[in-house]
Amino acid sequence: MDRRTFLKLAGIGSLSFAAGCSDPEKTIYSLVKAPDDMVTGQAKWYATTCRECPAGCGVLVKNREGRVIKIEGNPLHPINKGKVCIRGQAALQGVYNPGRLKSPILKTENGLQNISFSDAENLLSEKFSIAKISGSGRIKMMTEVVSRPLYQIFDHIMTTYGADAPTVFEPFAYESLKTANEMVFGIDGLFSYKMEQSDFLISFGADFLDTWLSPVEYTIKFKEMHGVRNGKKGRFVHISPSQTLTAANADTWIPCNIDDETIVALGLIREMIVWGKGETLDKSLLGNLQSIADPYTIQKVSEQTGISERLISGISESLVKSRHPLVLGSGNSFNGERSLETCIASNLLNLLLNPDLSQLDFNERYRVETAARRSEIYNFFNEVSEDKTNLLLLNNVNPVFTLPKQSGVQKALKNKSVFVVCFSNFMDETSAKADMVIPVAMPLESWDVYESTSKVITTLQPAMKPLYGDPQIGDLLIRSSFKDVTETEFYKTEVIRSLVKKGSISTELQWLNMVRNGGLYNVPENKASFSKKLSKKIFDVLLLDRKETTIPLSLAIMPSVRFFDGRGANRPWLSEIPDPLTKVVWQAPVLMHPETVKRNNLKHGDMTAIETDNGLVEAIVYETAGIKENVLGISMRRDHTIDGQFIEDKEDSIFSLLSANIENLSGGPISHARVISIKKAKSSEPLAHTDGSRLQHDRKIAMAMPFSQYSNSQDHKKTHGGSGLSMHEFPLTLPIPEGYDAHRDIYPSHEHENYRWAMVVDLDRCVGCAACMGACYAENNIGIAGKRQIINGREMSWVRVERYLDPEDNKKVIFLPMMCQHCDAAPCESVCPVYAPHHSKEGLNNQIYNRCIGTRFCSQNCPYKVRRFNWFGWKWPYPLNLQLNPDVTARSKGVMEKCSFCIQRIKEAHTTAKREKRKIKDGEVIPACAQTCPSDVFTFGNLMDPESRVSKLVSDKRAYQVMGYLNTKPAVIYLKKILNEI
Amino acid sequence: MDDRRKHRWISFLKIKGSALFWTASCAALAIFLVLFLYVWPEWKMGPEQPISFSHQVHAGVKQINCRFCHSYVDRSQHPGMPPVEKCLYCHKYIIAEHPEIKKEHNYYNTNTPTPWKKVFYLPEHVFFKHQRHIDREIQCQECHGEVEKMDRLKGVNFKMGFCIKCHREKEGTPLGCWLGCHN
Repeated sequence: MDRRTFLKLAGIGSLSFAAGCSDPEKTIYSLVKAPDDMVTGQAKWYATTCRECPAGCGVLVKNREGRVIKIEGNPLHPINKGKVCIRGQAALQGVYNPGRLKSPILKTENGLQNISFSDAENLLSEKFSIAKISGSGRIKMMTEVVSRPLYQIFDHIMTTYGADAPTVFEPFAYESLKTANEMVFGIDGLFSYKMEQSDFLISFGADFLDTWLSPVEYTIKFKEMHGVRNGKKGRFVHISPSQTLTAANADTWIPCNIDDETIVALGLIREMIVWGKGETLDKSLLGNLQSIADPYTIQKVSEQTGISERLISGISESLVKSRHPLVLGSGNSFNGERSLETCIASNLLNLLLNPDLSQLDFNERYRVETAARRSEIYNFFNEVSEDKTNLLLLNNVNPVFTLPKQSGVQKALKNKSVFVVCFSNFMDETSAKADMVIPVAMPLESWDVYESTSKVITTLQPAMKPLYGDPQIGDLLIRSSFKDVTETEFYKTEVIRSLVKKGSISTELQWLNMVRNGGLYNVPENKASFSKKLSKKIFDVLLLDRKETTIPLSLAIMPSVRFFDGRGANRPWLSEIPDPLTKVVWQAPVLMHPETVKRNNLKHGDMTAIETDNGLVEAIVYETAGIKENVLGISMRRDHTIDGQFIEDKEDSIFSLLSANIENLSGGPISHARVISIKKAKSSEPLAHTDGSRLQHDRKIAMAMPFSQYSNSQDHKKTHGGSGLSMHEFPLTLPIPEGYDAHRDIYPSHEHENYRWAMVVDLDRCVGCAACMGACYAENNIGIAGKRQIINGREMSWVRVERYLDPEDNKKVIFLPMMCQHCDAAPCESVCPVYAPHHSKEGLNNQIYNRCIGTRFCSQNCPYKVRRFNWFGWKWPYPLNLQLNPDVTARSKGVMEKCSFCIQRIKEAHTTAKREKRKIKDGEVIPACAQTCPSDVFTFGNLMDPESRVSKLVSDKRAYQVMGYLNTKPAVIYLKKILNEI
Repeated sequence: MDDRRKHRWISFLKIKGSALFWTASCAALAIFLVLFLYVWPEWKMGPEQPISFSHQVHAGVKQINCRFCHSYVDRSQHPGMPPVEKCLYCHKYIIAEHPEIKKEHNYYNTNTPTPWKKVFYLPEHVFFKHQRHIDREIQCQECHGEVEKMDRLKGVNFKMGFCIKCHREKEGTPLGCWLGCHN
């Protein structure tokens, strides 16, 4: 056969193939009965509460055709004011996790067996009856932090069966902070801080942007305090062993050894007394305090901690001069022997500096304060393994993972005479050891009310039907435990009744309004009485003779901004989105100071085996100046497969490196351990990171200016660049026809019709928390590439938060959110052979997926490296695919994609505006990233409208364009970060 | 090709030629029959539906407005399929004992969604909004054809040219790729 014939035949073959294969037939299912509140193709929003951590932020959940597809903050909610963090965004992947259990599981002699929900319920009530027959106190229960009505039900059940009240377990129970509050203010609890009112903030390891108490709330408050306000800018000093996200946002981060915070705090107390603060205080108290703090002179503090004298005296001077200083103690990270002392000293500092304590809101208390101390948790498990317990109920806790090996939890669960029931949606370390696992409806599928704080009662309502028909734990327990006691009832009724009883609501209309608004936000204040009579114990604690034991090297297990205590690790987005500071994905490297790395003959990227007194861990070395020399840090992590499935045969958890020691006075855990040996491991794995470099190489990417320059400079032109063509002289060029300059431009400018969309990104407000990335993944159906592909450089994020270090001082960090710049002279548009990137009449740089042939020229030519190529058809294993946004194409293999400024939201606004025969209003279109950003970094709007917020912001003297000297005329205008020195 | 090889080819064809011919024509006939009997009617009439619903009877003879059944069309991107319940508003009384209506009752009583076959196709990367077109008072028939004259709907596989034709002719219609359909 010659070539011609072959081509002919091949042509006929493919033609007939094409003719034979039209679209596969599809089915449209009609509903049997149409629900009142569902219009197909239109989203419905339900106000409920995020329960990914105990903070309890109010959220609005978007429901399309019966599936929840997006979470946004509830703007009415006083805690989070319409914003959600990255963990809140990823709550969807908990609901749709492929590892989510579909039915209860019973451990039998023949292995694990799936049983039906009704069988599980019957078995549970049988166990309750047995426990009742065998006598009182045969049941024990441990739960996560739950709402008041749910706790009351648990408690009621336990009392009925003659057992102790349920124990609330939360890995972060803030024992030292609680105890310090009790000792100094007489309040055994956790109250809120009016951080927004302060002008100088010192934090001794309180990571309020990461995990501390209520991160979204404090991010908002912090930016109010730290932003420019009436020509002034608050300052923030963070003192901790490792540079967490919070520390990275401090004006000055001071590294110190674990427990050395106490010395600094005591030194500051001495200084404050010397400066004459605290004169209004009780004389004897002041005298006592003086005698305790007296030895801590600046010289001594400097000697013991290695912090320069100048810095300490600078801080104390600023403290004295500031009008509303605020000092925070931690309680959940770097817990050591002296955490309690640090927290006491912080409280005392507040008392010295602000005798009226106006910035501490004792009336607003966090729900997490109900969590039991670690010592009580250890007791609980010891009791289970020793006494007569028959039935152990664990509600959504994972103690096998979060507690050290010696804690007795393993022994308790192995006890043959105890029947362990886990109410958990996933197979995790604990449920794998349980006798029965009953999945229950997740918070987004349940009715409840939760007290975020004592002032805010927020409601939970099902935003969708439980995915696998799981019962709610309240209903399940009422049914199974009271089967023969009382008439069965619904938990929801119980919730309403408890509200009525409390006097919060009295009519049904009030309840409906409460559900609609997402909660009750004006709960009458319960005036907490606090005494300024300090407990004498304080002085005992502070005078405690500490043996000077210097640990040469200790390993700290740190809370993670992405995974919290490790619980979020099965949400693929959280692993796929890089850690804000290391930019590492899917791995938890060990942070090591360059000195330590050198001393141990290691190098950056080596796999190392670290042995502590209690266990061994293998981790990749991450060399960074963001940690103290004598400390190694690993964030709380769990190992999971790419789709969130639990790996059962994985070695011990990261917490097994710790000892089960507790700090005696507060009953809190110790979160670091002595390192015995550290050596290079045999195995190796490349570091999966997404940053090209930690430095900017003087390319004018993320820029900053000192506060003095910002407040003085009147000259606009100088700050907006000159008129030259060099890197520093290039002027700010807006992507509108006025930006056209015949001397510089090859291409003519684009004419726009009514709108030219643009975004202003304020670097001074960006804390780098990556909530925007989470929102973008959720909104735009971005694929999960996984560790291997990211090592190959194939991450898919449309918006990324870049982290750059100051070349002169590696401890200074600047964050820069980077997404498609929608340039007016877009380099991508001019190189595409098929016109797939296309400039729209509203200035957007459109990527037409079905036109794209995947040459990747555009990505090559894009100076911002924001274009992402689909190397594979990314998988959304069932039921993760149910989360996909039906308004956005799920891109297929071989197609280039990038940020669209959330075009689907722009179109939505167009539809509404057109219908109302008007133009789109400023602020009507809010892209997903801008919507969720807790610190309001992003402003989106129309540059053609001179009255829009973006048009006004671009004339700010801080405005610049990233690599604007390339004359791409980006539509994303950045505002420089303002540096504030101590 | 050298002579010897050519010769071998020709002799092979001579011997096997007739057999080949008959096999080929039988296969062709079989394919034709299958097409004629099974595929052809579908091409002409559109797919068979689970209930033999007639648009001609409802929209043509009885003059029921399209939006009575497809009620979301003016407020959503989807027109909406009538829930089974809605069919029974009338058919509880009208020809309630008809075998096809009995099917409908069966769907309702067993709480089963009706698996209608899709007839109008758009590519998956195209986001068409019905609402905007209804707002401009474009008649359903302009795109969907004379529905009121068809029993079984013959579908259309919409192509970009079909959309662009109108969008070019009518003023104030978006031609931007993303602003129009692709996103």
